[in-house]
Amino acid sequence: MKIENEDELDKIIICPKCYSIHQEVPIKDGSKALCSHCNAVLYRYDSNLAKNGLALSLTALIFFVLANMFPLIKVDILGIEQYLTIPKTFLVLFDSGFFIVGFFAMFLIFVFPLLLILLYTVLFFILYLKLAKPLSKQLLILISHIEPWSMAEIFLVSILVSLVKLIGYAQIHIGVSFWALAAYVILDIYITRHIHISEIWMLRNRIYEDDRN
Amino acid sequence: MIEIDEKDLIRCPICEAVNINKGKTNICRRCGTHIYKHHKFRTEKSWAYLITAIIAYIPANLYPMLITSQFGHREGSTILGGVILLWEHQSYPIALVIFFASIMIPILKFLILIYLLISVKYPLGKDKKINKHKLYYFTEIIGPWSMIDVFVVAILAALIHMNNIQIIAGTAATAFALSVFFTLLAAHAFDEQLI
Repeated sequence: MKIENEDELDKIIICPKCYSIHQEVPIKDGSKALCSHCNAVLYRYDSNLAKNGLALSLTALIFFVLANMFPLIKVDILGIEQYLTIPKTFLVLFDSGFFIVGFFAMFLIFVFPLLLILLYTVLFFILYLKLAKPLSKQLLILISHIEPWSMAEIFLVSILVSLVKLIGYAQIHIGVSFWALAAYVILDIYITRHIHISEIWMLRNRIYEDDRN
Repeated sequence: MIEIDEKDLIRCPICEAVNINKGKTNICRRCGTHIYKHHKFRTEKSWAYLITAIIAYIPANLYPMLITSQFGHREGSTILGGVILLWEHQSYPIALVIFFASIMIPILKFLILIYLLISVKYPLGKDKKINKHKLYYFTEIIGPWSMIDVFVVAILAALIHMNNIQIIAGTAATAFALSVFFTLLAAHAFDEQLI
Protein backbone atom coordinates (compact mmCIF):
# COMPACT_ATOMS: atom_id res chain seq x y z
CA MET A 1 0.00 0.00 0.00
CA LYS A 2 1.36 3.43 -0.92
CA ILE A 3 0.27 6.80 0.41
CA GLU A 4 1.31 10.39 -0.26
CA ASN A 5 1.54 11.60 3.32
CA GLU A 6 0.26 10.72 6.77
CA ASP A 7 -2.93 12.73 6.36
CA GLU A 8 -4.11 10.19 3.84
CA LEU A 9 -4.37 7.68 6.68
CA ASP A 10 -7.64 9.42 7.50
CA LYS A 11 -9.08 7.65 4.48
CA ILE A 12 -8.29 4.25 5.98
CA ILE A 13 -10.64 2.70 8.48
CA ILE A 14 -10.02 -0.24 10.78
CA CYS A 15 -13.18 -2.14 11.69
CA PRO A 16 -13.98 -1.67 15.41
CA LYS A 17 -15.17 -5.25 15.71
CA CYS A 18 -12.83 -7.42 13.64
CA TYR A 19 -9.86 -5.11 12.96
CA SER A 20 -9.91 -5.59 9.19
CA ILE A 21 -8.70 -2.71 7.03
CA HIS A 22 -10.96 -0.70 4.74
CA GLN A 23 -10.70 2.33 2.50
CA GLU A 24 -13.15 5.12 3.12
CA VAL A 25 -15.55 5.70 0.24
CA PRO A 26 -17.93 8.62 -0.17
CA ILE A 27 -21.49 7.57 0.71
CA LYS A 28 -24.88 9.19 0.41
CA ASP A 29 -26.21 11.49 3.10
CA GLY A 30 -27.96 9.47 5.78
CA SER A 31 -26.50 6.11 4.78
CA LYS A 32 -23.88 3.93 6.44
CA ALA A 33 -20.86 1.88 5.44
CA LEU A 34 -20.62 -1.70 6.69
CA CYS A 35 -17.59 -3.95 7.21
CA SER A 36 -17.35 -6.57 4.48
CA HIS A 37 -16.14 -9.23 6.93
CA CYS A 38 -18.39 -8.91 9.96
CA ASN A 39 -21.14 -6.46 8.98
CA ALA A 40 -20.31 -4.02 11.78
CA VAL A 41 -21.04 -0.38 11.02
CA LEU A 42 -17.84 1.41 9.99
CA TYR A 43 -19.15 4.94 9.68
CA ARG A 44 -22.24 6.91 8.80
CA TYR A 45 -22.52 10.12 6.88
CA ASP A 46 -24.93 12.66 8.24
CA SER A 47 -24.63 16.24 7.04
CA ASN A 48 -26.62 17.49 10.04
CA LEU A 49 -24.59 15.62 12.64
CA ALA A 50 -23.63 18.68 14.68
CA LYS A 51 -27.18 20.01 14.73
CA ASN A 52 -28.76 16.65 15.57
CA GLY A 53 -26.10 15.88 18.13
CA LEU A 54 -26.65 19.21 19.86
CA ALA A 55 -30.41 18.68 19.99
CA LEU A 56 -30.06 15.14 21.31
CA SER A 57 -27.47 15.94 23.95
CA LEU A 58 -29.42 18.96 25.21
CA THR A 59 -32.52 16.77 25.54
CA ALA A 60 -30.50 14.11 27.32
CA LEU A 61 -29.13 16.74 29.70
CA ILE A 62 -32.63 17.94 30.58
CA PHE A 63 -33.80 14.39 31.18
CA PHE A 64 -30.79 13.68 33.38
CA VAL A 65 -31.52 16.73 35.53
CA LEU A 66 -35.16 15.59 35.82
CA ALA A 67 -34.02 12.08 36.72
CA ASN A 68 -32.16 13.52 39.69
CA MET A 69 -34.86 15.86 40.93
CA PHE A 70 -37.68 13.47 41.82
CA PRO A 71 -37.88 9.97 43.31
CA LEU A 72 -37.19 7.12 40.90
CA ILE A 73 -39.39 4.68 42.75
CA LYS A 74 -41.42 4.65 45.93
CA VAL A 75 -42.10 1.53 47.95
CA ASP A 76 -44.65 0.99 50.62
CA ILE A 77 -43.72 -1.60 53.23
CA LEU A 78 -46.01 -2.18 56.18
CA GLY A 79 -47.37 1.34 55.79
CA ILE A 80 -43.96 2.98 55.77
CA GLU A 81 -43.06 4.76 52.56
CA GLN A 82 -39.52 4.83 51.28
CA TYR A 83 -38.19 6.36 48.11
CA LEU A 84 -35.12 6.10 45.93
CA THR A 85 -33.20 8.80 44.09
CA ILE A 86 -29.92 8.53 42.23
CA PRO A 87 -27.88 10.44 44.85
CA LYS A 88 -29.53 8.50 47.67
CA THR A 89 -28.27 5.24 46.19
CA PHE A 90 -24.66 6.07 46.91
CA LEU A 91 -25.20 8.31 49.93
CA VAL A 92 -26.73 5.40 51.83
CA LEU A 93 -23.65 3.33 51.00
CA PHE A 94 -21.44 6.08 52.44
CA ASP A 95 -23.61 6.20 55.54
CA SER A 96 -23.19 2.50 56.17
CA GLY A 97 -19.43 2.68 55.71
CA PHE A 98 -19.10 1.17 52.24
CA PHE A 99 -16.82 3.85 50.87
CA ILE A 100 -15.32 1.88 47.97
CA VAL A 101 -18.66 0.71 46.58
CA GLY A 102 -20.07 4.15 47.36
CA PHE A 103 -17.36 5.86 45.33
CA PHE A 104 -17.81 3.42 42.45
CA ALA A 105 -21.55 3.98 42.42
CA MET A 106 -21.17 7.75 42.70
CA PHE A 107 -18.85 7.96 39.71
CA LEU A 108 -20.47 5.26 37.54
CA ILE A 109 -24.11 6.33 37.86
CA PHE A 110 -23.89 10.03 38.65
CA VAL A 111 -20.62 11.86 37.96
CA PHE A 112 -19.61 10.20 34.70
CA PRO A 113 -23.04 10.19 33.02
CA LEU A 114 -23.51 13.86 33.91
CA LEU A 115 -20.00 14.82 32.80
CA LEU A 116 -20.34 12.84 29.58
CA ILE A 117 -23.56 14.50 28.54
CA LEU A 118 -22.22 17.95 29.47
CA LEU A 119 -19.09 17.36 27.40
CA TYR A 120 -21.16 16.17 24.43
CA THR A 121 -23.40 19.24 24.66
CA VAL A 122 -20.45 21.64 24.71
CA LEU A 123 -18.70 19.69 21.93
CA PHE A 124 -21.66 19.69 19.56
CA PHE A 125 -22.32 23.32 20.40
CA ILE A 126 -18.84 24.47 19.38
CA LEU A 127 -18.86 22.19 16.33
CA TYR A 128 -22.21 23.64 15.30
CA LEU A 129 -20.87 27.19 15.61
CA LYS A 130 -17.50 26.16 14.11
CA LEU A 131 -15.58 27.61 17.03
CA ALA A 132 -12.55 26.69 19.10
CA LYS A 133 -10.67 23.99 17.21
CA PRO A 134 -8.21 23.05 20.02
CA LEU A 135 -10.99 22.81 22.60
CA SER A 136 -13.02 20.39 20.50
CA LYS A 137 -9.98 18.10 20.32
CA GLN A 138 -9.55 18.12 24.11
CA LEU A 139 -13.26 17.44 24.58
CA LEU A 140 -13.18 14.48 22.18
CA ILE A 141 -10.19 12.95 23.99
CA LEU A 142 -11.87 13.43 27.37
CA ILE A 143 -15.10 11.87 26.10
CA SER A 144 -13.23 8.77 24.91
CA HIS A 145 -11.68 8.38 28.34
CA ILE A 146 -14.93 8.75 30.26
CA GLU A 147 -17.31 6.87 27.98
CA PRO A 148 -16.53 3.29 29.06
CA TRP A 149 -17.16 4.26 32.68
CA SER A 150 -20.63 5.68 32.32
CA MET A 151 -23.10 3.02 33.41
CA ALA A 152 -26.52 4.70 33.58
CA GLU A 153 -28.07 1.97 31.40
CA ILE A 154 -26.83 -0.74 33.74
CA PHE A 155 -28.26 1.19 36.67
CA LEU A 156 -31.64 1.31 34.93
CA VAL A 157 -31.67 -2.46 34.46
CA SER A 158 -30.59 -2.85 38.10
CA ILE A 159 -33.62 -0.83 39.20
CA LEU A 160 -35.89 -3.20 37.28
CA VAL A 161 -34.17 -6.24 38.78
CA SER A 162 -34.52 -4.91 42.32
CA LEU A 163 -38.18 -4.06 41.70
CA VAL A 164 -38.88 -7.65 40.72
CA LYS A 165 -37.06 -8.79 43.85
CA LEU A 166 -39.36 -6.58 45.94
CA ILE A 167 -42.61 -7.82 44.41
CA GLY A 168 -44.61 -9.49 47.11
CA TYR A 169 -42.89 -7.67 49.96
CA ALA A 170 -43.88 -4.14 49.12
CA GLN A 171 -46.20 -1.98 47.10
CA ILE A 172 -44.24 -0.31 44.34
CA HIS A 173 -44.91 3.06 42.75
CA ILE A 174 -42.82 4.13 39.80
CA GLY A 175 -41.88 7.80 39.96
CA VAL A 176 -41.49 10.50 37.32
CA SER A 177 -37.73 10.29 37.45
CA PHE A 178 -37.75 6.65 36.43
CA TRP A 179 -39.19 7.59 33.04
CA ALA A 180 -36.81 10.53 32.79
CA LEU A 181 -33.90 8.18 33.46
CA ALA A 182 -35.22 5.73 30.86
CA ALA A 183 -35.42 8.55 28.31
CA TYR A 184 -31.91 9.67 29.26
CA VAL A 185 -30.57 6.13 28.81
CA ILE A 186 -32.10 5.77 25.34
CA LEU A 187 -30.62 9.11 24.24
CA ASP A 188 -27.29 8.28 25.88
CA ILE A 189 -27.09 4.96 24.03
CA TYR A 190 -27.95 6.73 20.78
CA ILE A 191 -25.31 9.41 21.29
CA THR A 192 -22.51 7.16 22.50
CA ARG A 193 -23.14 3.98 20.46
CA HIS A 194 -24.99 5.04 17.32
CA ILE A 195 -22.79 8.08 16.69
CA HIS A 196 -19.25 6.70 16.60
CA ILE A 197 -16.54 8.85 18.10
CA SER A 198 -14.65 8.54 14.78
CA GLU A 199 -17.60 10.12 12.95
CA ILE A 200 -17.29 13.19 15.16
CA TRP A 201 -13.57 13.35 14.38
CA MET A 202 -14.46 13.13 10.66
CA LEU A 203 -17.02 15.89 11.13
CA ARG A 204 -14.41 18.00 12.92
CA ASN A 205 -11.98 17.50 10.02
CA ARG A 206 -14.64 18.55 7.51
CA ILE A 207 -15.67 21.63 9.47
CA TYR A 208 -12.22 23.08 9.93
CA GLU A 209 -11.12 22.14 6.41
CA ASP A 210 -14.00 24.18 5.02
CA ASP A 211 -12.82 27.06 7.14
CA ARG A 212 -9.37 27.05 5.61
CA ASN A 213 -10.62 27.18 2.03
CA MET B 1 5.44 8.82 -1.04
CA ILE B 2 5.48 6.47 1.92
CA GLU B 3 5.39 2.74 1.43
CA ILE B 4 3.47 0.98 4.19
CA ASP B 5 2.61 -2.56 5.05
CA GLU B 6 -1.01 -3.22 6.03
CA LYS B 7 0.24 -5.04 9.12
CA ASP B 8 1.85 -1.83 10.36
CA LEU B 9 -1.44 0.00 10.57
CA ILE B 10 -2.67 0.47 14.13
CA ARG B 11 -5.74 2.12 15.53
CA CYS B 12 -5.48 4.69 18.28
CA PRO B 13 -7.52 3.34 21.23
CA ILE B 14 -8.69 6.84 22.13
CA CYS B 15 -9.67 8.58 18.89
CA GLU B 16 -9.72 5.56 16.55
CA ALA B 17 -7.44 7.28 14.03
CA VAL B 18 -5.32 4.96 11.91
CA ASN B 19 -1.59 5.32 12.57
CA ILE B 20 1.57 3.73 11.24
CA ASN B 21 3.35 1.55 13.78
CA LYS B 22 6.78 3.13 14.11
CA GLY B 23 8.16 0.70 16.64
CA LYS B 24 9.24 2.14 19.98
CA THR B 25 6.95 5.03 20.80
CA ASN B 26 3.82 5.72 18.86
CA ILE B 27 2.12 9.03 19.36
CA CYS B 28 -1.25 9.34 17.69
CA ARG B 29 -1.05 11.89 14.89
CA ARG B 30 -4.58 13.13 15.56
CA CYS B 31 -5.09 13.26 19.33
CA GLY B 32 -1.49 13.05 20.57
CA THR B 33 -2.09 10.09 22.92
CA HIS B 34 0.72 7.64 23.49
CA ILE B 35 -0.29 4.36 21.93
CA TYR B 36 0.99 1.48 24.05
CA LYS B 37 3.94 3.02 25.77
CA HIS B 38 5.17 -0.12 27.48
CA HIS B 39 6.63 -1.87 24.53
CA LYS B 40 8.77 -4.39 26.34
CA PHE B 41 6.08 -5.68 28.65
CA ARG B 42 2.96 -5.37 26.59
CA THR B 43 0.82 -8.03 28.20
CA GLU B 44 2.07 -7.77 31.78
CA LYS B 45 -0.06 -4.77 32.71
CA SER B 46 -3.16 -6.60 31.59
CA TRP B 47 -2.07 -9.76 33.43
CA ALA B 48 -1.54 -7.79 36.64
CA TYR B 49 -5.03 -6.30 36.55
CA LEU B 50 -6.56 -9.65 35.62
CA ILE B 51 -4.89 -11.52 38.49
CA THR B 52 -6.02 -8.81 40.93
CA ALA B 53 -9.56 -9.20 39.61
CA ILE B 54 -9.48 -12.98 40.01
CA ILE B 55 -8.18 -12.66 43.58
CA ALA B 56 -10.95 -10.18 44.42
CA TYR B 57 -13.52 -12.51 42.90
CA ILE B 58 -12.84 -15.19 45.55
CA PRO B 59 -14.03 -13.22 48.63
CA ALA B 60 -16.84 -11.86 46.45
CA ASN B 61 -18.26 -15.37 46.31
CA LEU B 62 -17.50 -16.45 49.86
CA TYR B 63 -18.77 -13.48 51.87
CA PRO B 64 -22.41 -12.38 51.99
CA MET B 65 -23.46 -9.91 49.31
CA LEU B 66 -26.64 -8.85 51.05
CA ILE B 67 -27.51 -8.88 54.74
CA THR B 68 -31.17 -8.86 55.67
CA SER B 69 -31.85 -7.79 59.20
CA GLN B 70 -35.37 -8.44 60.48
CA PHE B 71 -36.20 -7.48 64.05
CA GLY B 72 -32.56 -7.83 65.05
CA HIS B 73 -32.15 -11.17 63.33
CA ARG B 74 -29.43 -10.97 60.67
CA GLU B 75 -29.18 -13.22 57.69
CA GLY B 76 -26.59 -12.96 54.93
CA SER B 77 -26.78 -14.38 51.44
CA THR B 78 -23.91 -14.90 49.02
CA ILE B 79 -24.16 -14.36 45.26
CA LEU B 80 -24.80 -18.02 44.50
CA GLY B 81 -27.11 -18.32 47.52
CA GLY B 82 -29.13 -15.37 46.23
CA VAL B 83 -29.48 -16.96 42.81
CA ILE B 84 -30.61 -20.28 44.31
CA LEU B 85 -33.09 -18.49 46.58
CA LEU B 86 -34.59 -16.61 43.62
CA TRP B 87 -34.81 -19.84 41.65
CA GLU B 88 -36.66 -21.53 44.52
CA HIS B 89 -39.06 -18.59 44.72
CA GLN B 90 -39.73 -19.16 41.04
CA SER B 91 -38.46 -15.80 39.82
CA TYR B 92 -36.62 -17.55 37.01
CA PRO B 93 -35.89 -14.53 34.79
CA ILE B 94 -34.30 -12.55 37.63
CA ALA B 95 -32.38 -15.60 38.82
CA LEU B 96 -31.02 -15.97 35.30
CA VAL B 97 -30.15 -12.26 35.01
CA ILE B 98 -28.22 -12.33 38.29
CA PHE B 99 -26.62 -15.65 37.39
CA PHE B 100 -25.43 -14.31 34.04
CA ALA B 101 -24.31 -10.93 35.36
CA SER B 102 -22.53 -12.05 38.50
CA ILE B 103 -21.28 -15.55 37.73
CA MET B 104 -21.24 -16.24 34.00
CA ILE B 105 -19.93 -12.91 32.68
CA PRO B 106 -17.02 -12.49 35.14
CA ILE B 107 -15.85 -16.09 34.68
CA LEU B 108 -16.30 -15.95 30.91
CA LYS B 109 -14.36 -12.71 30.83
CA PHE B 110 -11.52 -14.14 32.93
CA LEU B 111 -11.28 -17.15 30.63
CA ILE B 112 -11.41 -15.13 27.40
CA LEU B 113 -8.77 -12.69 28.63
CA ILE B 114 -6.51 -15.51 29.85
CA TYR B 115 -6.91 -17.21 26.49
CA LEU B 116 -6.18 -14.02 24.55
CA LEU B 117 -3.19 -13.10 26.73
CA ILE B 118 -1.65 -16.55 26.39
CA SER B 119 -2.41 -16.86 22.72
CA VAL B 120 -0.61 -13.62 21.79
CA LYS B 121 2.63 -14.92 23.27
CA TYR B 122 2.38 -18.62 22.52
CA PRO B 123 0.48 -19.43 19.35
CA LEU B 124 -1.86 -22.07 20.65
CA GLY B 125 -4.92 -23.06 18.75
CA LYS B 126 -5.48 -22.27 15.12
CA ASP B 127 -8.12 -19.65 15.65
CA LYS B 128 -8.32 -17.03 12.98
CA LYS B 129 -7.26 -13.52 13.98
CA ILE B 130 -10.66 -12.17 13.06
CA ASN B 131 -12.32 -14.46 15.62
CA LYS B 132 -9.99 -13.28 18.37
CA HIS B 133 -10.78 -9.67 17.54
CA LYS B 134 -14.47 -10.48 17.73
CA LEU B 135 -13.91 -12.24 21.06
CA TYR B 136 -12.15 -9.17 22.44
CA TYR B 137 -14.94 -6.92 21.17
CA PHE B 138 -17.44 -9.23 22.90
CA THR B 139 -15.65 -8.96 26.28
CA GLU B 140 -15.60 -5.17 25.97
CA ILE B 141 -19.36 -5.13 25.39
CA ILE B 142 -20.45 -7.54 28.12
CA GLY B 143 -17.92 -6.46 30.76
CA PRO B 144 -19.71 -3.61 32.52
CA TRP B 145 -22.96 -5.58 32.87
CA SER B 146 -21.56 -7.51 35.83
CA MET B 147 -22.06 -4.34 37.86
CA ILE B 148 -25.81 -5.13 37.98
CA ASP B 149 -25.55 -7.05 41.24
CA VAL B 150 -23.61 -4.29 42.99
CA PHE B 151 -26.19 -1.70 41.91
CA VAL B 152 -29.07 -3.95 42.97
CA VAL B 153 -27.54 -4.25 46.44
CA ALA B 154 -27.09 -0.47 46.60
CA ILE B 155 -30.69 0.14 45.50
CA LEU B 156 -32.14 -2.36 47.97
CA ALA B 157 -30.01 -0.93 50.78
CA ALA B 158 -31.20 2.58 49.93
CA LEU B 159 -34.86 1.55 49.70
CA ILE B 160 -35.17 -0.70 52.70
CA HIS B 161 -33.79 0.77 55.84
CA MET B 162 -36.39 0.98 58.56
CA ASN B 163 -36.12 0.39 62.25
CA ASN B 164 -37.27 -3.19 62.10
CA ILE B 165 -36.35 -4.36 58.65
CA GLN B 166 -33.11 -3.42 57.00
CA ILE B 167 -31.07 -4.52 54.05
CA ILE B 168 -27.37 -3.84 54.36
CA ALA B 169 -24.66 -4.36 51.79
CA GLY B 170 -22.21 -7.12 52.65
CA THR B 171 -18.44 -7.45 52.39
CA ALA B 172 -18.78 -9.23 49.05
CA ALA B 173 -20.21 -6.07 47.46
CA THR B 174 -16.86 -4.31 47.88
CA ALA B 175 -14.89 -7.32 46.68
CA PHE B 176 -17.18 -7.81 43.69
CA ALA B 177 -17.09 -4.14 42.69
CA LEU B 178 -13.28 -4.21 42.84
CA SER B 179 -13.20 -7.41 40.82
CA VAL B 180 -15.35 -5.92 38.06
CA PHE B 181 -13.31 -2.71 38.13
CA PHE B 182 -10.03 -4.56 37.66
CA THR B 183 -11.43 -6.81 34.92
CA LEU B 184 -12.49 -3.68 33.03
CA LEU B 185 -9.00 -2.23 33.50
CA ALA B 186 -7.45 -5.50 32.30
CA ALA B 187 -9.56 -5.43 29.15
CA HIS B 188 -8.68 -1.79 28.48
CA ALA B 189 -4.98 -2.45 29.04
CA PHE B 190 -4.98 -5.29 26.55
CA ASP B 191 -3.28 -4.26 23.33
CA GLU B 192 -5.55 -5.33 20.50
CA GLN B 193 -2.71 -4.82 18.06
CA LEU B 194 -0.94 -7.92 19.46
CA ILE B 195 -3.56 -10.36 18.23
